Amino acid sequence: MLDVKNLMIFYENALAVNNLNLDVKKGEIVGVFGSNSAGKTTLMNTVAGLTLHMKFREHRKGGQRITIVGQQNFEGEDISNRSPNDRVKKGIVLCRERHPVFRDLSVEENLQLGGFLIKEQVKVQESIDLVYNIFPPLTKLKSRRAGLCSGGEQEMIAIGMALVARPKLLLLDEPLLGLSPVMQAIVVQALKDIRSLEVTVLLTEQYARPIMPHIDRGFIIENGTLIMSGTKEELMDNPEVMSAYFGM
Amino acid sequence: MKAGYRKERIDRGIKARADDIFAISSYREILYLTGPRILAVLALLIYPLLTDVTGAYWQTVAFIACIIALLTLSWNFLFSVGLVSLGQAYFFGVGAYFTGFFDRTIGLPPLYSIPLATVAGAILCTIIIYPVLRLRGIYFALITFALPLFLMRIIEATGYLGGTEGISGLQRLPGITFSLYVTVVIVLAVTFIFLRLFDTDYGLVLRAIHDNDMSVLAGGLNVQLYKAQAVFIAAMPATFAGALMTLHYRIVGMPAFAVEYSILPLTAAVVGGTGTFAGGVLGAFILVPFSELLRAFGTLRIVMYGIMLLFFVVGLPEGIYRFAQRKYFQFERIVPLEEKADEK
Repeated sequence: MLDVKNLMIFYENALAVNNLNLDVKKGEIVGVFGSNSAGKTTLMNTVAGLTLHMKFREHRKGGQRITIVGQQNFEGEDISNRSPNDRVKKGIVLCRERHPVFRDLSVEENLQLGGFLIKEQVKVQESIDLVYNIFPPLTKLKSRRAGLCSGGEQEMIAIGMALVARPKLLLLDEPLLGLSPVMQAIVVQALKDIRSLEVTVLLTEQYARPIMPHIDRGFIIENGTLIMSGTKEELMDNPEVMSAYFGM
Repeated sequence: MKAGYRKERIDRGIKARADDIFAISSYREILYLTGPRILAVLALLIYPLLTDVTGAYWQTVAFIACIIALLTLSWNFLFSVGLVSLGQAYFFGVGAYFTGFFDRTIGLPPLYSIPLATVAGAILCTIIIYPVLRLRGIYFALITFALPLFLMRIIEATGYLGGTEGISGLQRLPGITFSLYVTVVIVLAVTFIFLRLFDTDYGLVLRAIHDNDMSVLAGGLNVQLYKAQAVFIAAMPATFAGALMTLHYRIVGMPAFAVEYSILPLTAAVVGGTGTFAGGVLGAFILVPFSELLRAFGTLRIVMYGIMLLFFVVGLPEGIYRFAQRKYFQFERIVPLEEKADEK
């Protein structure tokens, strides 16, 4: 479904992603693991088209030069030069890290905004109900201002917004960042439900342990370079991976 | 570009070397570092002597440019502390009226009335603005925009300080060359002092307030106090500009609070590059002569002016100064992709 080949990204002269090959098949949940500065967020932003947008913006204001080289294919089509809004229409939806929500809007309005591109109101309402099913705690918060919600609730809203947009490929950038173990469990549980919706998921995380049981395949990157990839079992059999990303 | 290659932007060799102690080992490198500065300073110092060549008109234009440059320096200082001001006319007008007041009622000679008005004006400005320092962003900007209009109407309504007539017939200054020299020296001095100030620990705190005032607050520093000090420091070039302009034209009136003195510095800062002191001065020296040249277009002047602004905001948001600085210190070249990858 998503096929990234020989992706290289430079911020000015710093190499953020180095010759990365990565593929995601339909219906899979794929995890990308790595420490800070590994290039996870850059990878996600690039697939969502945000890096491309940033490149133009930086170029215009004379800021840092961003170089993107390599192929990005989505459903057999080259999307390297597509704008972020084009990619959303194609079905690639990114949920950015640190749970960005519209702070002054209510939870319900936030979710409705996620479905702005979808013409039929019925479908949007269906999706919103679905989100409430996946994240039951949100049901009580419908009319609360999103800015007043806790970090965990905001993460649910952010993922919910992405889901309402009816993605084919959902990109989750560090969905567990800064969440308590209880909240983490709810989000991880939601992954199962998302899989049953036939949504393909590509997610990143620093600490693999809570996520590991739910993914099909994993990629481990360090300093922008892919150092290992494999199925869940292959990764879990590797002692180095276990100690670095599982704390075992 | 060929496949497998990318464009790279790196510092020139001479810049990398001149950053180091080796700069003192060669005239070429000393010149590279100091050349642009010396050129600018020399140009500013020699220009007032060229009255015969340029004519009195262009000398006056340079004088106005210096006045606007002082206001721009003041604006940039406030901006660097996170206070976006829309009312440089407020500082300008207060300085102007203080001079008029000292001159008329006490009869102080210019040598004393200008410095006294500069400091007294800055103190008054700080006191008036102190209660609203907690405001941020657009709210602070709105207040500073309203303040000069507010003071203007008070003077109009009460008739105090000459009312609508203003105070005229003030003491005489020696002439345009003298005024121009004084402003040029002050512009250079203020630029130098501001640049230095922002390199000290004190300046570090001010820059931190611009960046994240909550963190500074959490660091145990009184942000309000620092901001008040910043307003005082930033007010002084502007009140000085007002004071000198008043004595140069020997009249002070309500136009001292004109919107022009708020908008021109702001525009100059945008053209030069917001947050750069030298850039602001450069912007003023481009903008003021340019707007004089446009007088030939009559009322279309404003249109041309607007188009130029549009060009700078959209096309060159970093400002002329930063753009020139980058071109001067860095160059671009094409390098293969893989080489970098091997180094890793």
